[in-house]
Amino acid sequence: MNLQKNWLEWLVFAVSFVLVLCTLGYLVYDGATSAKTPANIELELGKQQSQANRFIIPVLVTNSGDTTAETVQIEVTLENSGKEQESAQLEIGFLPRHSKREGWVTFQTDPRTVQETKARVLGFEQS
Amino acid sequence: MNRSQKDRSIGRSLQEYLRGIAGGVMFSLPLLYTMEVWWAGFTMHPLRLLLYVLATFTLLLGYNRYAGLRCDFTPLEVAVDSVEERGIGMVISAVVLWLLGQITTEMPGSEVAGKIIIESMTVAIGVSVGTSQLGGSNNNDDTGTQESTPFLSEDSDLIGQLAIATCGAVLFAANVAPTEEIILIATQTTALKLVGMAILSMVFGSLILFYSDFSGSQSFSKSRGIKTIFGGAIVTYAIALVVSATILWIFGRFDHTGAIVCLSETVVLGLSANLGASAGRLLLQ
Repeated sequence: MNLQKNWLEWLVFAVSFVLVLCTLGYLVYDGATSAKTPANIELELGKQQSQANRFIIPVLVTNSGDTTAETVQIEVTLENSGKEQESAQLEIGFLPRHSKREGWVTFQTDPRTVQETKARVLGFEQS
Repeated sequence: MNRSQKDRSIGRSLQEYLRGIAGGVMFSLPLLYTMEVWWAGFTMHPLRLLLYVLATFTLLLGYNRYAGLRCDFTPLEVAVDSVEERGIGMVISAVVLWLLGQITTEMPGSEVAGKIIIESMTVAIGVSVGTSQLGGSNNNDDTGTQESTPFLSEDSDLIGQLAIATCGAVLFAANVAPTEEIILIATQTTALKLVGMAILSMVFGSLILFYSDFSGSQSFSKSRGIKTIFGGAIVTYAIALVVSATILWIFGRFDHTGAIVCLSETVVLGLSANLGASAGRLLLQ
């Protein structure tokens, strides 16, 4: 078997070979290790900011599960002694496994004037 | 990548690579611009993705073996070329996806890898087709005899024709298979329209086969031609349906879906796949 190649062809082949091997290795490893745990969504509220006539709060959404969540609906409520003052919703189209997405919710009530700010996931679609 | 044994200059191989890159981008740009494909990159199960990678690799081997301008390729050379095309495909998809803002440093590795891997498959087939089709007029006369064999006739290489038809079908069908439109059409259409689509597929297929045969060979008799073409059209459509169903399954379009909807999706996609499978014959010339 006599392969006549110049250095450029050897270089392209070497790089390609490594890429292909890595791809196969990665997929086999990922397929073998990834469990089928459902999407596990955690919410983290950031520091509120005030804008012209509203207040905005950043929401950091993390999926630590092994499957992607689609159309994740999130509700953030401002509460005073267990009574809801105002609520806002946020929807995230795709939240891949082990990844983060960031969004904002807006309020007319100043979040600093209420006792509690609660965030929860209303629901999501499993893909 | 088709290479001549005599001329191994850097400039020549560079020209072949650039031709391949041009072909890769040209044939796969619709897929690189499709959001359903990006999503499939991270929603698809890794084992299914692995299966897709292996299937495309087999297809590349087949295409390089039968559609290469030089038929005296050794199996090792065919394998080397296929690996190179996969590599080039991955680099092209990584660069384009980055330019499109679909891969960023903040994303988890699995999302970036999934997107690049799933996009690189069609790019690799594009690179392969580009290398052998764009230019490459410097082939010897000894390949001329093979080019004039009619599609699926007794004296032609059946496995080769099937490999090329499958490749063409994948190249065409993969561009529309992952989109929402397929399932939308499949659920809204009626049974009669589906039959219409199947007939239209075969009519288009016959037309393409008919004209490609006549541009390929002058000594091909007309009466025998029509019979061969009719048989060829049916075989081609069968390949197209199998390819459609496989691609739809890979992209998760069959998951938790009723059998009748799956069938109707396959027929809807079959039209596109059949055009590709029939044109696969043209890709040889």
